[in-house]
Order: sequence, then structure tokens, then C-alpha cells
Amino acid sequence: MNSKILVFLFFTIATSVFATEQVSAQGQNDPWTPQQLLAPADLAKALNNPKSPQPIVYSIGMQAVIKGSIDIGPVMMPENLNTLKQKLGKLPKNAPVVVYCGCCPFSRCPNVRPAMKLLKEMQFTNYKLLNLPQNVKVDWIDKGYPMAE
Amino acid sequence: MKTLILSVVLLLFGSTISTLSAQTIGLELGNKSPEIKLFTLKGDAVALSSLKGKLVLIDFWATWCSPCVEEQTELAGLYLKYKQSAFTNGQGFEIYGVSLDAKKSNWENFVTTNKINWIQVSDLKFWRSPVARTYNIQGLPFNVLIDGNGIILAKNLHGIDLNKEIARFLRK
Repeated sequence: MNSKILVFLFFTIATSVFATEQVSAQGQNDPWTPQQLLAPADLAKALNNPKSPQPIVYSIGMQAVIKGSIDIGPVMMPENLNTLKQKLGKLPKNAPVVVYCGCCPFSRCPNVRPAMKLLKEMQFTNYKLLNLPQNVKVDWIDKGYPMAE
Repeated sequence: MKTLILSVVLLLFGSTISTLSAQTIGLELGNKSPEIKLFTLKGDAVALSSLKGKLVLIDFWATWCSPCVEEQTELAGLYLKYKQSAFTNGQGFEIYGVSLDAKKSNWENFVTTNKINWIQVSDLKFWRSPVARTYNIQGLPFNVLIDGNGIILAKNLHGIDLNKEIARFLRK
């Protein structure tokens, strides 16, 4: 009987630990869904084709390095977040918006979460986070994608 | 006699290869580190090669990189500990801090507030800095330890590993 209880407890704890790890790996606390991650190749394709519909791209990190992107500055700073809010306030809710930082992986980035949270709160319906898993150098510059002048 | 000639030839060949390897500019251990010439906060250009003769840690960092910022305290300790030390191939220890910041005010505030007293240079080009490409930096923090001739001794060591590696080259 005791051994059955022990086995039950073991599986309960193991399942719980496994589930916690899954949550962490999936980043369920992040204010974006996997569908809201935009592949750099897709954005580069759009930017390279002027006939294609162009999204409004905001740099919400240290420097606007992507062609045509609007430099907001690091939105971890309230004044920059406010600037983004003001700019977004002038757009229709269904405007195609893309934000990116690229300082470092999302897990360490202080800017992507405030920006995506703001877009959600402002009830935008067509916004994406540029998926730069490592940083903007490795995932954009080194790939030869279009750069700001 | 044949053995003697063969030995001399092999010795000369080995020596040539060794010299060529040391002269190769690259990023592998044993290569000569690529030159960097960037600007201090005061606007003076400082070349990495001007530190010839010293053991040098090239520290690539930025104020927007949390692990880099945390590491600066450790670097201050290493600088104090080894600054005047004699090494097997270098007299004295220097840190050549290359900031990948984009805004001078961020860089300057951090350096001033934290009283960083080793060489600090930058071109304020963030990830667009040509040195990021030259040194094939994939993420920060990143560092390279070079000897008095600019030869790469170690790459991307941090914490205890970095301290041990520097100590390994102390002259006994």
C-alpha cells in the first residue's frame, strides 16, 4: 500500500515538474502568441518588394537598423513607451504593425514585452513581433536583409 | 648524414609553419587578433595594437546587455589584481572595452558612475559596428584574451574560468 502511494506521489510530482518546464519553454507568460511572431525572411521579402503591402515597422530597442523602420528608442523607458503609444494612437486598430528590438534573446530583452503589451491593451488586431531569436545582427544584418541608411 | 639533413629540414619547416600560423590574422586560438581602432569618450582614437607588450582582454559589451553590466564588477577586480603583473608573454594587464552601445549618453553615464578606469572605446553603432562582424560576435558578452604580440590565447571565458586563464600566463 505504502509503495503504491509512493509511486503515485512520484508520478504526480514528476508530471507537475514536466508541466512547469513546458510552460516555461512555451513562454506562456509572454504577451504574444506563436502566430504573432514574424519571420525575418518574410519581412525582408515585403521590404524588398515595394508593390507588396508595407507594414509599419517600429524599432523599440537601441537603434533602428531595419530599412524604413521608425526609431522609438528602448520602450523599457516610460518616455519612449509613451512616444510609441502616441504614434499608435494615430493609426487605425487594424493597421499592420511590426515591432522589433534585437538587442538579445527575448528571454533577456527588456523592450519586447512592454511594446507587445501596449499593442494588446490598445486593441490592435494586426500586429507582429519580429522573430529575432538571437539578436538583430545574427538574425537580420548577417543575413543581408535590407538595412536603414 | 641523411637523418641530420632530414631533421634540419623538418625543423625549418616546422618553424616556418609556426611563424605563419602566428602571423595569420584571424579568430582562432594562436591567430593574431584583428586590429581595432575606435574612439574613447573624449574622442581620441585608440588602436588595439597600441597595447602591444601587454596581456589584453578585449571585452565586447554594452550598457543594454545585463550580463555585461553585471560582469563589469568582476572585470574591475581582475584589472586591479593583474594590472601590474608580469606574464610569460606580456608585461602588465589591460582591458580594452569595446562598447556596442548606440547612444553616447548611456555609455558615458555607466562608465562615469561605475568609475571604470580601463580603456573604453566605441563607434556607437550598436550591432552595426564593423568590429561586431570582424570578430564574428554572435551575442554579448564576448571577450578575447591576447598576449603581448596580439596572439589569441582564449575566447569568451567568464568568471572563475577567465581568472584562471589569466593566472595561467603569470610569469613564475
